[in-house]
Amino acid sequence: MEWIGFANYAVYMAIFICIYALLSLGLNIQWGFTGLFNAGIAGFFAVGAYTSAVLTSPAADGRLGGFDLPFWVGWIGAMVAAALIAWPIGKICLRFRSDYLAIATIGVAEIIRLVIKSEDWLTNSARGITDIPRPLGDLPYTMSQLAYLAIVMAILLVVYLMVERQIASPWGRMMRAIRDNEDAARAMGKDVPYRRLEAFIFGSALMGLGGALFAHFNRSITPEAIDPMVATFLVWIMLILGGSGNNRGAILGVAVVWVIWSVSEIVTDQFPHEYAVKAKYLRIFLIGLMLQLVLRFRPEGLLPEASGERKPVGKTGN
Amino acid sequence: MGALEIINFYLVPGLVVGSIYALGAVGITLVFAILRYAHLAHGDLATLGAFLGLGLVTALGISPYLALPAVMVLTAVVAVGIDRVFYDYLRERPKIVTVMASLGIALMVRAIVQVVWGVDSQTYTRGIVRPENWFGIRVRDRELITILAMIALVVALQLFLQRSKWGKAMRAMSDNPDLALLSGVDNGKVVTITWVIVGGLCAAAGLFLGLNFELKAMMGWSMLLPMFAAAILGGVGRVEGAVIGGLIVGVAEEMSTLFLPTEYKAATAFAILLLMLLVRPTGLLRGKVL
Amino acid sequence: MKPLLQMTDLHGGYGDANILHGVNLEVAPAEIVVIVGPNGAGKSTAMKAIFGLLKIRGGSVIVGGVDITGWEPNRIVEAGVCYVPQVDNVFREMTVHENLEMGAFLRSGDLSAAYDRVYGLFPDLKERRKALAGNLSGGQRQMVAMGRALMLEPKILLLDEPTAGLSPKYMEQIFQISRDVRDTGVAILLVEQHAKQALAFADRGYVLASGCNRHEGTGADLLADRDVADMFLGG
Repeated sequence: MEWIGFANYAVYMAIFICIYALLSLGLNIQWGFTGLFNAGIAGFFAVGAYTSAVLTSPAADGRLGGFDLPFWVGWIGAMVAAALIAWPIGKICLRFRSDYLAIATIGVAEIIRLVIKSEDWLTNSARGITDIPRPLGDLPYTMSQLAYLAIVMAILLVVYLMVERQIASPWGRMMRAIRDNEDAARAMGKDVPYRRLEAFIFGSALMGLGGALFAHFNRSITPEAIDPMVATFLVWIMLILGGSGNNRGAILGVAVVWVIWSVSEIVTDQFPHEYAVKAKYLRIFLIGLMLQLVLRFRPEGLLPEASGERKPVGKTGN
Repeated sequence: MGALEIINFYLVPGLVVGSIYALGAVGITLVFAILRYAHLAHGDLATLGAFLGLGLVTALGISPYLALPAVMVLTAVVAVGIDRVFYDYLRERPKIVTVMASLGIALMVRAIVQVVWGVDSQTYTRGIVRPENWFGIRVRDRELITILAMIALVVALQLFLQRSKWGKAMRAMSDNPDLALLSGVDNGKVVTITWVIVGGLCAAAGLFLGLNFELKAMMGWSMLLPMFAAAILGGVGRVEGAVIGGLIVGVAEEMSTLFLPTEYKAATAFAILLLMLLVRPTGLLRGKVL
Repeated sequence: MKPLLQMTDLHGGYGDANILHGVNLEVAPAEIVVIVGPNGAGKSTAMKAIFGLLKIRGGSVIVGGVDITGWEPNRIVEAGVCYVPQVDNVFREMTVHENLEMGAFLRSGDLSAAYDRVYGLFPDLKERRKALAGNLSGGQRQMVAMGRALMLEPKILLLDEPTAGLSPKYMEQIFQISRDVRDTGVAILLVEQHAKQALAFADRGYVLASGCNRHEGTGADLLADRDVADMFLGG
């Protein structure tokens, strides 16, 4: 029946929106509240996905693990692994302007991609990791999808509330002070690089969690599942369009962009094959153009940051 | 392993790829120092240059070397156009916003290449070129031309920067932008000249990369990290530093295959980048730190 | 005599806050005028206002009969006003001679007379013309900065605390050069921290406080004024 297919698709979309919303919230902590440019979102996402996959999948020959641990151990492991990778990068780069962090995160994502592609013993390279358990995955298809949606929504809600609370706290006010006027914050005795490092690690951990949720949803993970540039860039356009510095904006942007992205994919899939490939790249072009238009005409996004006087999109730099 | 093997299998290929990195890194260092942001679309601009060259080579049946000047001009025009249409409006905003815009431009430029030229690898010329033997050192003509062309372009650029009025204005803008403006330097004109130079160098880097290897839509993006590593290694704002940096990164990448699997060549550039940021962010020749 | 530069009732500041609350200044051709006042009086701000480097919310700046209020810096330079900032006032990675070349950026034609004039005023610089400006001593850098500004043969030179951080020997030298410059027909407006010495050498002076005019007169008169002395000269 048609409507069941449609409902299934809606649930599927909703799960993806929740997963991307975690990435967007993670980026909002880094960029929206702290002014840090992370261009390697896909890298942290992949680390999370693979970490949880190794920890929770059943034992397999020829690669590390799987350790067959409960899913929640995998998810925590994903956050820890992403944070552990963020730590040295942040430690080295956060003393400088965010341009350096952008370059370094591009590099780290590239290295992670290489490791995933070539390290058989760790990631099973091109074949990827399969049989990743999904919580409540034994239920019938629709129920299982709904159950997973409930899980990711609950996680998103908890994360959203945590981030909101953190941002409203003195810590959040201090972060914004650092973003808006680094020199003044430094003069007030704030340890600016350390605070930035906290935000960078926290945001990256959320990206790792998003990766883990993605892997468990698909029950498998392969190198092809993550197109680094597109994944990273989608999260950026989601946050900027939604309204960086505003968590609800960050989530709204995810919904808007993901719907546009998916619907345009359905449209282009109808094309004959030789055009469908070109249309795929045309979509990427248009999403790039969309970023330019938002940056120029509505830099504050759909839902601007609440506090009145500050200028939109990152006040650090000179 | 003898000295000749080291030279033939590591040093020569390293210098060739290093020369290509140098051409890109000089552009990156100029944008970093004069316009004051990291230009993330640099690699993809090089890709565009390489494919524009392919267009000329196939349409006119000329050799890639003959296409080079035209491709440099075309890519320079594209670079100036990108600045006018996209970056210029962000000039008053924090520079990091332009960094973000350039990430979007990278994606857009690459998408255009993929739509127009497809996703399969291509080459300028078919067939295998055997290297010439110079006293045991084996070098292909195209490798020699790559290195010589890089040297010629950088010398020409240095002469322009040291001797000409607008070259000095570019250095002044890099050195002390406020004072340059107070001296009556027209910032818009400096920006345009910078993009003309950077676009041209980008095109040369892309064309030589395509000539020595193959043309792929991702060729430029994968060169971005080594180019930035080279610019920072040499010292941001230092043209000669970018050349030295490019050559070092190129040779280091080739040498790394002695110890590491070939797949991890790219990790060498990343390691150099992090190491420099850790121990000497001003680079070998005391450049800027933004 | 008709003033060369006239600032009338100027209001303005950075961002939303006003620092200047109605400042009036006049500089006649070939005159040295000094602005003194306590910290935070708006001395440097008043000077930057001439150059359009802050938000002007009222009043006007007229140079040689032309209203230049709110102009772009490069047009103000063309109008014959050159400004030497207090810090970062040389191109450190360029040679002394290239610094002078940059000063003459807007000029074309034969510049040898202009170089001769500047090297004549600053013989030290002629010796070190090939040296990088960043490698010079503080006093010599100040000379490069002034020399750079003079290359355009301005009608008026604005100097923001030219003697800050210099030894008394260099301070005296800068003042002497300023007199020499004036004697070639260039007016000088300068902001000074060393109020006593500056008033002693200037033709006229203004005392600013809290973004307003407080006193004005010849240097000698101001030095003799009890109120001025009490305010900040320290007796």
